[in-house]
Amino acid sequence: MGTEPLLTVENLSICLGTGDGARALLSNITFAVKPKSVLGIIGESGSGKTLLSRALVNWVRAPLQVTAGKVIYQGLDLLALPETQMARLRGREIAYIGANPTTALDPTVPVGHQIEEKLRTIEPGLSGQEARKRVIAMLDAVRIPSARSRFDEYPFQFSGGMMQRAMIVDALISNPKLLVADNITQPLDVTVAAQILRLLRDLQRDFGTSIVFVSSSFGTIVDIADEVVVLDKGKIVEAQDTGRIQKSPDHPYTRELLAKVPRLWHGVSGVPQVHVEPVVLSVRDVAKTYEVKDRASLFKKNRVQAVRGVSFEVRRGESLGLIGESGCGKSTLSRLLSSLEPPDRGAIEVNGVDVATLHGDALLSMRRRFQLLLQDPYNSIPSHVSIGTTIAEPLRIHRLASGNGLRERVCAVMQEVGLSPDLYDALPVGLSAGQRQRVNIARAMVLEPSVLILDETLSALDQVEQAKLLDLFDNLQRKHGITYLYISHDLAMVRRACARIAVMYLGKIVEIGDNETIFDEPAHPYTRTLLSSVSTVEAKPFLPKDYLLEGEPPDPIHIPEGCSFRSRCPFVIETCRSVEPPLSTRAGTSAAACHLGLERLPMPSVMTPGRPGSDLKQMDSL
Amino acid sequence: MAFALEFFLRRISQGVLIVLAVAFVIFALLRIAPGDPIRIILGPMATPSAMEETAERFGLRDPIPVQFLRYLGDIAKGDFGNSFIRGKQGGTTGGSQDAAGSPPVERAAVIELIAKALPYTLLLAACGFLLACLVSIPLGIMAGVRNNGWPQKVALYLSSLLVSLPNVWVGIVLIYLLSARTGWLPAIGYRHIGYVIIPAIVVAIELAPVMIRSISVAVATNVQDPFYEIGQVRGLSARAMLFRHVLRNAAVPLLNSFGAQMIGMLLGGLFVVEYIFSFPGIGLLTINAVFQRDFPVIQTVAIFASTVLVFINIAVDFASTTIDRRLKF
Repeated sequence: MGTEPLLTVENLSICLGTGDGARALLSNITFAVKPKSVLGIIGESGSGKTLLSRALVNWVRAPLQVTAGKVIYQGLDLLALPETQMARLRGREIAYIGANPTTALDPTVPVGHQIEEKLRTIEPGLSGQEARKRVIAMLDAVRIPSARSRFDEYPFQFSGGMMQRAMIVDALISNPKLLVADNITQPLDVTVAAQILRLLRDLQRDFGTSIVFVSSSFGTIVDIADEVVVLDKGKIVEAQDTGRIQKSPDHPYTRELLAKVPRLWHGVSGVPQVHVEPVVLSVRDVAKTYEVKDRASLFKKNRVQAVRGVSFEVRRGESLGLIGESGCGKSTLSRLLSSLEPPDRGAIEVNGVDVATLHGDALLSMRRRFQLLLQDPYNSIPSHVSIGTTIAEPLRIHRLASGNGLRERVCAVMQEVGLSPDLYDALPVGLSAGQRQRVNIARAMVLEPSVLILDETLSALDQVEQAKLLDLFDNLQRKHGITYLYISHDLAMVRRACARIAVMYLGKIVEIGDNETIFDEPAHPYTRTLLSSVSTVEAKPFLPKDYLLEGEPPDPIHIPEGCSFRSRCPFVIETCRSVEPPLSTRAGTSAAACHLGLERLPMPSVMTPGRPGSDLKQMDSL
Repeated sequence: MAFALEFFLRRISQGVLIVLAVAFVIFALLRIAPGDPIRIILGPMATPSAMEETAERFGLRDPIPVQFLRYLGDIAKGDFGNSFIRGKQGGTTGGSQDAAGSPPVERAAVIELIAKALPYTLLLAACGFLLACLVSIPLGIMAGVRNNGWPQKVALYLSSLLVSLPNVWVGIVLIYLLSARTGWLPAIGYRHIGYVIIPAIVVAIELAPVMIRSISVAVATNVQDPFYEIGQVRGLSARAMLFRHVLRNAAVPLLNSFGAQMIGMLLGGLFVVEYIFSFPGIGLLTINAVFQRDFPVIQTVAIFASTVLVFINIAVDFASTTIDRRLKF
């Protein structure tokens, strides 16, 4: 592609604030985007990649200041362009999609109407009917099911993945020459993210749009980009072809980034092993249904079957991973397990005692043994209370310590989770997400729990911080024999941390087994779909072309008859339509709910050398 | 459609219960509180036996629940009773009649008293509310969009100033300045539309600070929502985003504060203002009725006011959920 670049960035520098106190966030950024190509920008959180992507559409607001440089689009310097001229490009020739699709549109106006509004602003001559037709055609093109009726639905009725598709329609409806995509797959489930990437690639080919694709995931970048720019602390450290950067990265930082990409199959060693200790937590046939009002009919209620009969056991000192897409019932299950809500049926037994039978003090002391850690490290800590007081509160509630003894215990636990006891009287203002999560962990650990439920606890943290906390969890587990229940959609984390893994789909466990079975020879097509959708830099045994189908799980109000996965299963047979497969034991403790045998599924495309016990050295450790 | 039907069925049935409860509380409190209406009807010279006889005739000696049920029965027949005090011709007739002389049928029907006073009150309320809107809507929006700068300061200082002016005092000062001193505007009573101007200004001064504040807060919150800036990056103008989207979203909290707070303020303000200006509306009628222990009038106004409040709130909630479909009521 020897043509003139569509967009060039020259020596761009951006500072926070002005004068002496100004802090450089981007310095001397220079790169070019060729027509009809995809440029990937990769960087960790805090590297300035969102700022850079916003600068490309001239969306830099005070207190941020462009101190030097140009962003030249077809001969025009966007940063120096008067607002009226910029407005003629923005949303027309240059489109932008952000990381959070759910807040991008007015929540009170149907999605389609807002896209139509944009289209008619851009092409004022268009009649309402014509604009509507074009939007619906485009919604169809990004494979939004029943686009015609979806046109009139509101943003809150769209899932994150559907919403991101709608934002892609919104960006592409004006046939832009350049699309800036800032981390667009980050908040999505792996299966949906994989679909979005595939979609974007197809559209890029069909429309000839140039894309600047910004991401923090190396696996995603190499999937889509032709060229990659590596951003570290506001500076470009390397720019190369995608092929070359994977094979021979020049800069040490690039090598470090590549090494940090979690491996699921190659060079995995020492995955956690199944325990033989006594059972601590036993869940038997637990179910929960919520009733929601049906707006379309009189007095009718819809039944949302969030959890539909889940059974499993966790042994002392073991880690069980619970994985599945959003909406599969993971979080409802965690609410049931932490007895925030009672299940409709079934029993949750802790050390052989049914939780439902407990009341008053007995329930309180059971709760002490059972702690829940949530995802959001910001809203889970009171901001006007000192860290020490926050951590001490459970001890006060359970009347376990007071006075000096209290302070000692809190300081001890702070030290154990890696917080300096000097922070005892400090407020949580200014703590990083990782440190805040440590405060949460300390608050749970101070009660010496025997079971910790980690509901997406590490999802909000970057990979470095995640790795540190995983080590911390390992240490705590070894020292105190704690049982963990990891509820997560992060397969790499589960691969590293959990001895046994349960895969949930539409409120049921479809497969459960030890770590190796789930990752190396899973028997359920859904497990394989999940594994095929992970973006990694390694060769995958399960390929998206064999497993990944379009679409998302059916909503839990209208669950299909027979096998609930049949609407998305590529290998569906006649039996699946009528008979729901039971969770049947395969080997050892593994079980899967599928009518098909292993022999009816495609063979893994590569054999994985990462089995425990194999002598393969782990090439690059975290 | 189904949603709207169910919404109104449910909310109206709840509303009827609320109005009944309010009616009973007012009804009972009036009869428990000191002050005998018979003394005011018959005047200070009436004999105890005459008073007792009149009280019996009005049914005031029966147990309160019995009186209440009888009252409800009459209402069901469309009869809200007659004033204890006011005659058909409109004058107050308390204190000059003997017990047997003038039967209560000659007194004015409450419903007619209200029907006569209501248009004046509606006129005053509408003028006051419009005047308040005229000032607060532009100022509130400007203050909300630019969270620093002069509109925000003007809005803050103006609403602080207005909120600290008691309406009784403002009323008297305005009468003095605009009417007594300069003779520009009429002030007391009502003969033509000019009489509504000064009272409407007083009502507006009471409403404006609350409105400025809630409008600017609601607009500011929505301007900070990501969709406002992202909309501009998507290619829509800031103007379009403000008028088509931000104001739409801001309308929901505004409607709520209107239904919950401002209607109450408006009603309370009207009572005081009508009294100061001798403005012949519902407020003046009610205040006089309270002084005269005119039970039927007080009761009916209370039922009427609570019905209006309940229905405005139903309408507000319906409008809110129509604007923002995530809301459930």
